[in-house]
Amino acid sequence: MSPEITAELERDPVYIVRTPAFDGPIELLLTLAQRAEVDLKAVSLASLTDDYLQAIEREAPPLDQLAAFLVIGARLVQLKAAGLMPHAAVGEEEDLQAWEEAIKGRLEEYKRFKELAESLMRRHASGRFTFAGLLEPDVIPQARVQVSLDALASAFRQVLDRLPPAEQVTVEMEHVSLADKLEELRQMLAHHAQVNFSAIFRHARSRLEAVVTFLALLELIRIGEARVAQASAFGEITVYGQERKEAE
Amino acid sequence: MSSRIDGVTQVRDTTALAAALEAVLFTLNRAVTVLELQDILQSPLPDIEAAAAGLVEALRGRGLFLQRHQDQLQLVTDPAQADVVRRVLRPEYPSRLSPAAYETLAIIAYRQPLTRARIEEIRGVNCEAVLESLEEKGLITETGRLDAPGTPRLFGTTMKFLQILGLSGLDELPPLPQSASTSS
Repeated sequence: MSPEITAELERDPVYIVRTPAFDGPIELLLTLAQRAEVDLKAVSLASLTDDYLQAIEREAPPLDQLAAFLVIGARLVQLKAAGLMPHAAVGEEEDLQAWEEAIKGRLEEYKRFKELAESLMRRHASGRFTFAGLLEPDVIPQARVQVSLDALASAFRQVLDRLPPAEQVTVEMEHVSLADKLEELRQMLAHHAQVNFSAIFRHARSRLEAVVTFLALLELIRIGEARVAQASAFGEITVYGQERKEAE
Repeated sequence: MSSRIDGVTQVRDTTALAAALEAVLFTLNRAVTVLELQDILQSPLPDIEAAAAGLVEALRGRGLFLQRHQDQLQLVTDPAQADVVRRVLRPEYPSRLSPAAYETLAIIAYRQPLTRARIEEIRGVNCEAVLESLEEKGLITETGRLDAPGTPRLFGTTMKFLQILGLSGLDELPPLPQSASTSS
């Protein structure tokens, strides 16, 4: 007996066929029928299935066994039908084999890609990336800030120093919204082509309000509605409105 | 005699063109197609190819690296410098992908261009979500449409795919394991 057949006998059989023409596991029947070593025409598949139906009436088999019987049974029917139609016989058999080959090929193909996927994953995890040059950083374009950031920061520090320190602020709910300050600055810049940096804080009553005003100014610079410039090294910083406004 | 002189001229030209190529790739700082380069460098394709090969040689052991994805070239940092670049750049890069994503990437990398149906045939499961996510991460892209009913989309890998794996090109991918029953 071939190792293949021995292996089939060693496995838990799906069903033991007991017919005059064949006696043994149904898996073996299929294997032998595929090799044309058993003549399926001599095996009554109808009585085989009848017997099986009675058998499962008595004792329900596990689902996988039931499914296996259906698959094997279907193949047996296909083989037998092929055998009864001599012209189609060879073709059918070849189709079946081609189908099995295709399934096997697909599984092998998948296995190869699964291995490759693991090697890609290891490569990715090693972190040996390549990098393109740094993209243009998302910062305020230089043309809109003709003041060093240090000068801008120290001018703001001076504003803060003039305002009462935090401890002395009376405890009350303050409502200073960035949106309001933005609008206020926009109004101011709409009416004046240029405003002194300190002037925009003239109405600030608290440090919080000054901070929000400063944030609003930075936002206007960022979105291009304002720019700042300093005439001389320690001179006053001037805030200008949109260029479009100036042109008008 | 004259052929020798020609040979020398040729070498010098290739070196000069490689330098020009390097300068162009550096300033454009993006993937550039060989077609574009023919125009920019005013040179025919074989010369561009020779210059690219020359640049790869010239960059050996340097901090920069010439990456090639099909007909695109890009100057990037060498994978060996990834750690130091990461320290200065702190880039946001896709972290680990799911096993399904690596599987799908592998299939696309080796079989591109191919349709979703073909990928699903190999993986045996629906791949819609994983393809969407890979496309969103910029690791794959639509490379065209198959001339078939429904003109399904064809997928291929991108330059970014090479970047996260530190590959110089698709030909540097590990070889596809061969099997006895390789389908035609």
